[in-house]
Amino acid sequence: MSLCRPTFSLLRKCIGQNLYNLRLSDSRSIKRWVSPTLRELKRRRDRIGPEPERPRSSFLEWNYEAEVYAFGKRLGEEFDKNLLKRALIQREYANKQEFAAREKGLPTPEMLHNYELIQEGSKIISKVIIDEYEKLYPQDIVKAVHEYLTTEDMLSHVGKHIGLKDLVLTNEFPVVNETLSNTFKAVVAALKQSQNLERAELFVKDFLLSQMNGKDVYEIWDPKNPYEYLMKLLNDKGISEVEPRLCNQSAVNTILANYQIGLYSNKKLLGIGWGENVEVAKETAAIDAIQRLFRNYVPKQ
Amino acid sequence: MSNKLFLLPALVSAPSQNGVGRYVGQLQRVVLKFCKNNGSSRGMRDFIESGLVNFAKENPGVVVYLKPRRHRSPIIKAEYLNGDTQWMSVRNFPQEEILKWLTLLNTQAQCHNGQRLRRLWFTEHPSIQGPWTPYTFRDPSLNLVSFPIEELAQPKDLPKSSEEELLELFKKQKLQEVESKRAE
Repeated sequence: MSLCRPTFSLLRKCIGQNLYNLRLSDSRSIKRWVSPTLRELKRRRDRIGPEPERPRSSFLEWNYEAEVYAFGKRLGEEFDKNLLKRALIQREYANKQEFAAREKGLPTPEMLHNYELIQEGSKIISKVIIDEYEKLYPQDIVKAVHEYLTTEDMLSHVGKHIGLKDLVLTNEFPVVNETLSNTFKAVVAALKQSQNLERAELFVKDFLLSQMNGKDVYEIWDPKNPYEYLMKLLNDKGISEVEPRLCNQSAVNTILANYQIGLYSNKKLLGIGWGENVEVAKETAAIDAIQRLFRNYVPKQ
Repeated sequence: MSNKLFLLPALVSAPSQNGVGRYVGQLQRVVLKFCKNNGSSRGMRDFIESGLVNFAKENPGVVVYLKPRRHRSPIIKAEYLNGDTQWMSVRNFPQEEILKWLTLLNTQAQCHNGQRLRRLWFTEHPSIQGPWTPYTFRDPSLNLVSFPIEELAQPKDLPKSSEEELLELFKKQKLQEVESKRAE
């Protein structure tokens, strides 16, 4: 058997060689190596897995100066170049650069970062939102809208869509929402310092307040107990008697039961609402009444 | 790919309320990749020589990169503000056509490859009246009624029975008789 083994392997080689020759010679026009080669390449590609996401700034075609210039032009704003660059540098990034320089023994560069700009920008944003909404809505709604518009998600959404994601200088990758929202605030402050407060306010209005387009403030502001809230409002107006009346009902004692309740005061309808039971209908009627009261809201001077 | 089964349905949309406050061009950068001596890049080279500076001047918000590479066909890679990246082969395209395609990329908001628009308009509020409820257009006279009522329980178009028809005929006849007597 041990004698046979080399014989077998020799034989196999010979046959293999012959087959290989045959394969090469049997047709010249059809390239039979293409498909197996591509298949093998595909197999290797799949084995390695998908390519990791890389920051855009690590690409060969990347010019930071040009990107920063285009950023301002795209938004139709004249930024001071140095201020805008400073607004894009996170404090952690600046610190890291400084440590790296110190470790190498190089002179530590004075890295400016956007920490102060963030505080300033945050104040400008809050002021614009509150000023705009105070003209139209009472304090509670203004507060809710302000909270909604200054969440990290909202600000980072806006920041992402003006193209901050690739420009931010930060340690982490991918860029987290907190960094984006902070940078947006810093950009607002940078605009204020580059031009003036009016221009910065217009910027906030155009990019942040426009996010309220198509949204209902009464979906954002949600009073916990509408009926009690309504009673409080009416007491301030001098109305204490409110009469909830069952206006309509149908499909009672079924799963699709629905009631319509109107709130009346002195034979005048304050609000009307639906619900699957009387309590819920009363609450929705109260919400409707609140909306009707606020519809012709006049701010206190 | 004209068969709609292969295309994902999409609706007309503007990213992040673009245009409500001010309009921002959504193309943030474009990379023109071409070969310096291959014939397929000829139109691209012509465009770079004669038209590119104008394009860049007219659109300062778009960063233009040029990337020469040997013996590969020319492509345009466009990057949008919403994160989309679009590759476009411009092999053997003349320079006029390259400018046309660049203008398209510059004016659109995202990569629309593999999408079809379901319709050419979009609204968040298809109805301004609100949904119908059992109480809309309800007859106010029903407010004072106490149910059950025989009339309302019946179908509206109940056919007349032959007895009723006979009675009606009889009544008509009587009326006619009375009228003829009066006439006399």
